Amino acid sequence: MTDLSKLEKWRSALSKCIRCGYCYDQCPIYKETGWEADSPRGKLILLYGMLSGEIEPSDYIANKLFECFHCNRCEKACASGVPIQDVYNDARAFLVESGFDVVGTTSRTDHDVCARCLNCIRMCEHDARKFIDGKVVTDVLKCQSCGSCFDICPECGVTIQRGFGTNPNELLDRVDAFLNDPNNPEAKAIVFSCGYSSYPGLKHAEFDDFVISKEYEILVTACSGRLKSHTVLESLERGAWGVMICCCPEDECEHGGSPRVKERMKNLTKIMERIDIDPKRVQVFEVPQGNEAKFLESTGTFIEDIRALGPLAPEAETVGSEK
Amino acid sequence: MNSATIERLKKIVGEDNVLDNPADLYVYGSDSSVHEALPQVIVRPKKVEQVQELMRYANNEKIPVVPRGSGSGMSGQVVPVQGGIVLDMKGMNRILEINPQDGYCRVEPGVVDDDLNKALKPYGVFYPPTPASSVVATIGGEIANNASGGRSVKYGAARDAVLAVKVVMANGELLSFGSTTRVSASGYPLEKLMVGSEGTLAVIVEACLRFVPIPKLRCLGSAKFNKLSEAGDAIADIMGSGCQPSMLELIDKIAIIAVNKANNLGLPEVEAILLYEADGMAKEMIDAEIERIQEICKKHKGFDLESSYDAKERARIWAGRAKLFPSLSKYDESLASTSLADDMAVPFSKMAACADKIHEIADKYDLVMTAYGHCGAGCMHTKILMDTDKTVSWENAREAVREIYEFVRSVGGTTSAEHGIGLSKAAAFKKEKEASLELMRAIKKAFDPNNILNPGKLMDGPDDWVEETELRYQST
Repeated sequence: MTDLSKLEKWRSALSKCIRCGYCYDQCPIYKETGWEADSPRGKLILLYGMLSGEIEPSDYIANKLFECFHCNRCEKACASGVPIQDVYNDARAFLVESGFDVVGTTSRTDHDVCARCLNCIRMCEHDARKFIDGKVVTDVLKCQSCGSCFDICPECGVTIQRGFGTNPNELLDRVDAFLNDPNNPEAKAIVFSCGYSSYPGLKHAEFDDFVISKEYEILVTACSGRLKSHTVLESLERGAWGVMICCCPEDECEHGGSPRVKERMKNLTKIMERIDIDPKRVQVFEVPQGNEAKFLESTGTFIEDIRALGPLAPEAETVGSEK
Repeated sequence: MNSATIERLKKIVGEDNVLDNPADLYVYGSDSSVHEALPQVIVRPKKVEQVQELMRYANNEKIPVVPRGSGSGMSGQVVPVQGGIVLDMKGMNRILEINPQDGYCRVEPGVVDDDLNKALKPYGVFYPPTPASSVVATIGGEIANNASGGRSVKYGAARDAVLAVKVVMANGELLSFGSTTRVSASGYPLEKLMVGSEGTLAVIVEACLRFVPIPKLRCLGSAKFNKLSEAGDAIADIMGSGCQPSMLELIDKIAIIAVNKANNLGLPEVEAILLYEADGMAKEMIDAEIERIQEICKKHKGFDLESSYDAKERARIWAGRAKLFPSLSKYDESLASTSLADDMAVPFSKMAACADKIHEIADKYDLVMTAYGHCGAGCMHTKILMDTDKTVSWENAREAVREIYEFVRSVGGTTSAEHGIGLSKAAAFKKEKEASLELMRAIKKAFDPNNILNPGKLMDGPDDWVEETELRYQST
């Protein structure tokens, strides 16, 4: 039997969870899989089950606990006041100490590809990467799954094995699905949104007067710094009239991605100008965390520009064509 | 459950849609109630044909099947007390049709209420039963429990919104009940029979729902009271005076303290607050409604009256009611909020007495209980806040629940207004419906002769929920 005494202090907090499920809508992991054990409520139930001896700790449970983008939306939404991230952190430490080998959403380095440039170590805002015995390794207890290392690696040697919809190929699959939906002739644009700023809270709220347009699709990228120029250009190539990127204000960005994506898109739009693609087709907006009104105002401004520009004309504005 | 059964289920719905890891079984063994019980497998169908094939198989093998939405029910409706298959209907979550001309939409059961209303909004209409849990509750679950919410006082509950359903019977047969028309005169309304059946009769795989126009204007107001009974009397007077509020909500002092703690609202900790809303297309009519409601509140010593049409102001006034249910856990750090005696309905004239009785019983059994709810619809909610680690708390809670429902029956009320029966209200339900239990069992048998659909619920639920069910809390 594993020693669970370190988690005992959370028993009362776990009893406080009334299992209302209001956290479901806040969690990008649950929204992707739809399985309840992937939700914050599900994970708290698993911890309660381990504490009460009704289920045994396992690799399966350990991975569930490490599948998290650390956006902390669940805790902010929890009116019962369960300190979800603190509970998770202790549970993760316990699971690692108990010898469970976990990956979850933490980043991994392919040592055969890694050039040992150590950029990922320098860029990590969470001190989660170390150079040990000639190899870059991830401290899973510190990794926030923001993907900065993934973004910065020149050799594409860093991976987040399960992206839950946030990895580039998954994003492009969704771009295709939205733009080619036969039931939505209004589909025009893609909004890549940082999961830490504006993703949750956009649903129909009791007193909001907003309507989320069918003209754009919101795709969550985790930290916006993960968004590659290639993904933006591919979205245009696949039929988007425009792409909006929504990131945190720089002073709120916890992962260092906000300035990177802004710089990257600035460079991208310069290139777009040179090949006669209107730079307004790619716009970056800063949205403070949880400010849905600002998010909707920004998308409104953006979509007006895109409507005015119309679709990318095949002759004049084919992505990648030389002037 | 043997591996051959698991393999068969995987063939029906695909390997990725079957879970049998002990961790998943544990998660799917509970809901927002105090109960738990382990299923043997979780299956997520994506198509009607898969539900049909699965039901044919389960019926032949006599394996219990418990349809489940998001598991936000408070009475143990989806707790699989006899094991078997939990049918996770969230995989069927498509909005199939929005027909503004004929005033209905068709949806699969796994659609979340808020998602439906988000999709309806561009058409200028809304699906009104919307419970407080609309951010998580699925339409299938709302129909199975006859959910309602704040605006049910004017717009009705799920039963009023359901025009037609498609269901898969226990033997796998696909049937359609009801009609997409607003009126339908003849025969037994089987589509309405599905509403409130808590998954015991058939699996809902599609619902046709009526919607209503979003009113152009909404005005929300509040009034404070120094006595709970005065607020209760105001409710009875408002509803008896011909007023037509679109919401009429009560919050008692315990709830006020809890939402203050959870959300730093700084509401005055008076004995009761009434929230009232009127809506419509013309301001003159709404003003008249609000004025009349406020006159009645004043008559019953209501004070600090305010009202507003402004969206931000309405959000501020509503803040005390928003997230009230989860906030109750914040009332006292040593107490947990449990969904017990959580839901009842009484005649308007008995609302004040009911609220007082709840507090009297709480005092008697050394428990903390709150009184709140959609009182304009006759609906009263409470929760029992207690130390769940102590066995004596549970014994006291059992007696308190019993006495509360005895009172509710004595004044002509009913066991559940909108949360359903499940396990923890079964004893009270059986007493209330004593004369018709056998008839209900006969109906159940006609639909589900092998008793595989959510067995052990409603009329077959436990008489003693403490002794006869597994509780998800450990106590000594």
